[in-house]
Amino acid sequence: MQLAFWGVRGSIPAPGPATVRYGGNTSCVSLRPSAGGLIVLDCGTGARNLGMALMEGPFGQGRGEASILLSHAHWDHIQGFPFFVPLYQPGNRFQIFGVAKSSAMLEGILEGQMAPQYFPVQTLKNMGASIEIAAIAEGEPFQVAGCTVRARTNPHGRAGALAFRIEEAGRAVAYASDAGYGAGGPPAASVELYRGADVLIHDSTYTPEDGRRYAHRGFSSVEDAVGAAVAGGVKRLVLFHYDQDYSDADVDALVARGRRLLDERGGAGIDLVAAVEGATLDL
Amino acid sequence: MRVRFWGVRGSLPVPGSKTERYGGNTSCVEVRAASGTRVVVDAGTGIRKLGKEIGGAADGAPTDVHLLISHTHWDHIQGLPYFSPLYGKGNKLSVYARKRDDLHLQAVFASQTHDPYFPVPFAEAQAEIAFRELSDSAKFDIADVKVACARLNHPYIATAYRLTCDGASVVYVSDTAPFSDILFEDEFVARPPTPGAALPQHDREKLQRMREGVVRLCEGADLVVYDTMFTADDYRRIPHYGHSRPSDAVDVCREAGARRLVLFHHAPERSDAEIDVILEQTRMLAGSGGPEVTAAFEGLEVELGRG
Repeated sequence: MQLAFWGVRGSIPAPGPATVRYGGNTSCVSLRPSAGGLIVLDCGTGARNLGMALMEGPFGQGRGEASILLSHAHWDHIQGFPFFVPLYQPGNRFQIFGVAKSSAMLEGILEGQMAPQYFPVQTLKNMGASIEIAAIAEGEPFQVAGCTVRARTNPHGRAGALAFRIEEAGRAVAYASDAGYGAGGPPAASVELYRGADVLIHDSTYTPEDGRRYAHRGFSSVEDAVGAAVAGGVKRLVLFHYDQDYSDADVDALVARGRRLLDERGGAGIDLVAAVEGATLDL
Repeated sequence: MRVRFWGVRGSLPVPGSKTERYGGNTSCVEVRAASGTRVVVDAGTGIRKLGKEIGGAADGAPTDVHLLISHTHWDHIQGLPYFSPLYGKGNKLSVYARKRDDLHLQAVFASQTHDPYFPVPFAEAQAEIAFRELSDSAKFDIADVKVACARLNHPYIATAYRLTCDGASVVYVSDTAPFSDILFEDEFVARPPTPGAALPQHDREKLQRMREGVVRLCEGADLVVYDTMFTADDYRRIPHYGHSRPSDAVDVCREAGARRLVLFHHAPERSDAEIDVILEQTRMLAGSGGPEVTAAFEGLEVELGRG
């Protein structure tokens, strides 16, 4: 399996010289299973660069297929969707999975972003590719691109956000963006979802101090991410979804802090890296 | 008055090393009168940093912001939920945009911050927010700033604004297609027009009147900020997305006798180096008889008139 990071920022894209190294685009990660195919995790503005890269291959000829897993529908997780060029190429096929009471409601959420007052293309039906949309039943495993996927809802402010576990031939990736656990730490079902994962990509929006100050916003601090990684006994923790005001130097400090916290809290054996826009990670 | 550029990009924000100099935030321009009156045109992601500068009202003085919206496509409104004065008690925000028959202006903004898209509903914003819906040719005053409007040629329709105060005028013309090959109304235009095909007379006349309105709005202006997202090649390929070329802006400015043109709403794929080249080419095109040409960058400030 190969992971690639296209957007690693939270809330709103943060362009400018201060974010050039880690990147300013909002959440989007791609996963290529060893057996082929493509899974896209969230569609923040990073999806634009992913889309342009994909157009160099089969997606450019209308022969591409991918599954898109949406953790939730806050803007920073869907705002790249209308700018994901492979969706405009007839012949391409997409399956979109996300959280809603029904598939029709999930489609309505995506249509709402395309409405004429907001976007000139007006509806998903003008996009060209074949798009199937399915609401996910939490906890029930399903098959995507030869992988087994399970989803669990993490608390996230007033809303919730799905965390995903994706397994292929004994390898497992867990993706937990936007998790505000509160004082009790991650719920048992989430810990079970992360259990033994080769890679846990985890919300690390804040320093521990900012995390306490902005607890009501429903994000994790690097301390929360470390707690989840240790509880789940994962092999590698990837910090993700940095606050829009954090500079590259701030994220450097976040990584150093995370390493110290892991060592102090029984996670000395857990590898730690920060997600960087444009970087890949092989499993 | 002082004009400041907080976001100069079109379509969507584009962070990264290729956009470091001109900036990657979407459209937002601030006009500050010498008296302190603050008018902001469009609320793309650039407005976030303006909000930080204004600093909310928690410990400082309350602030009064007048926000003119050219149209409500994402790149012109997506920064508003991150505009911190919205959440300060005692602050005032007046939002102005074109009146539509099908939708209340307030609803457009309320949906942006509703579940499931955003965690803090508009109704919970502490500032006092008022919405003003405008006719296509509205004229009104915001304290000592005189505002005049003209209709633009863009999918779902956009509005151009002329702001006059301190003895100077700035005009904001974004987003718009040239007034020649396609008449944009409310409906999605699925494909480019057939090359060489003549427009129906009604459309041609309507576009001509629209162009005259824009030229009149720019007449003798000190500064014209113009949507020049497209290259000539972009316009040949995708004219149905509704943006202009630098040459269209130069023509309008020359006819209107405007003094200075600011290229604005840069395409997301345009690198800093490419914008440098477009700027040079447009300066050559404008020549000695045309407007002075600048390419908008994040942080650009222009002083006009007195104070």
